[in-house]
Amino acid sequence: MRAAQDNDGHALRHLYEAYRAQVYSLALYSVGDPAQAQDVLQAVFLKVFRGLRGFRFHSTLATWIYRIAHNECREHHRRSKPPFVPLEAVLGSMDEVDPKPNSHDQHARRERDRIIQQAVMQLPFQMREVVVLKYVEGLSYDDMSRVLECAPGTVASRLNRALAALEERLRPFKEFL
Amino acid sequence: MSCWRFDLQKRMLPYLEGRLPEPKRARLERHLLDCESCRALLVRLRAGHQMAQRLASLEFESAGTPDFESEIAGLEGAVAEGGTRGIAWRGWLERLATPRMVTALSAVVLLQLGLLVVSNRSILLGERSRTSIVVAGAIDLAEFRQLAIPELKSNTQPHVATDGYVEDVHTDEEEGTVAFKLVQNPQNGSSFVVCEIMSPIRMAPPADGSRVRVYGVERYDAQQDRKWYEVNPVLSIVPLKP
Repeated sequence: MRAAQDNDGHALRHLYEAYRAQVYSLALYSVGDPAQAQDVLQAVFLKVFRGLRGFRFHSTLATWIYRIAHNECREHHRRSKPPFVPLEAVLGSMDEVDPKPNSHDQHARRERDRIIQQAVMQLPFQMREVVVLKYVEGLSYDDMSRVLECAPGTVASRLNRALAALEERLRPFKEFL
Repeated sequence: MSCWRFDLQKRMLPYLEGRLPEPKRARLERHLLDCESCRALLVRLRAGHQMAQRLASLEFESAGTPDFESEIAGLEGAVAEGGTRGIAWRGWLERLATPRMVTALSAVVLLQLGLLVVSNRSILLGERSRTSIVVAGAIDLAEFRQLAIPELKSNTQPHVATDGYVEDVHTDEEEGTVAFKLVQNPQNGSSFVVCEIMSPIRMAPPADGSRVRVYGVERYDAQQDRKWYEVNPVLSIVPLKP
């Protein structure tokens, strides 16, 4: 970490390798498009590398990077709000989905994964973010409250609203999932 | 009608994950026995939680393109120089700086300033009007049934308003709640009702000994060591003359 603060090339690359996947998945869930998520990833690491010298260890490095990523995703979301597309329009209605999935079938598994990911991506930004931080990135309530700069109680409320909304969106696909 | 026990609803996810410590778990379960709306919410949260848990094992295409990978080395240099390699914002600015664009941007800035002044004014006016009724706007106080404290025993309506003297104000910092007794007549130890203000409904606790009208949801607490009527949660408190 100290080496990265001194702009050591190997240390910066190590930092990038260590957090790239997490930042990318947060960005992809947030912006919904691989090319734009790539832009966000690049912007985040540029800010991380530039801000490293000023990092004073008041939070963990992961929390600090997530906070930068969260701010970047939020900015990106503000600049380009995607039009709302209902889940059925992306996936087809329940009638079009094979109701008897074979658990060994790779295609069916990918289809189920895609349904859940699309449902998360269609949640409102604040809900989507808190779901991704908890279930994809595995952050605790306290860490989420530091990243999102709000009280743990607010995190809990948002999570409740997000899970209820997710359940509602996925209800027609419940048997398939 | 949906339940106002936001404090307990916030604990449902830790409860589903088995992370809720014993006293809080028991309190939530007691409430669930009593509250159909919260049971329905718990079922929805459990389904949402189970689906969301699967996100951890789902992977997107691998992150990072070869272009960016190679650019990392360049970024290291850019960081050291404080340069802006990788972001072509300067070119964008030059393209945007036409006279027509500058005029349009100025108009937008002036419009935003105007809106800022109007919104600040309405916020200030809103604060001034919020004196006695704390959650005004969220509830219509006219819909609350006005009852004397002894009449609460025979009441069947959820929303009540009742008058009395404040005693035994107790703040629970950990729970974020304030509880107090509302007594009909402080001299003779007459009928009382226990009132609870809970997070996230924030209001200042009434002064001990003051006379107030309390608006809220009436419940009966049937715990072994209690067995009393409650106004829980308190939705508004209005000071009265003694």
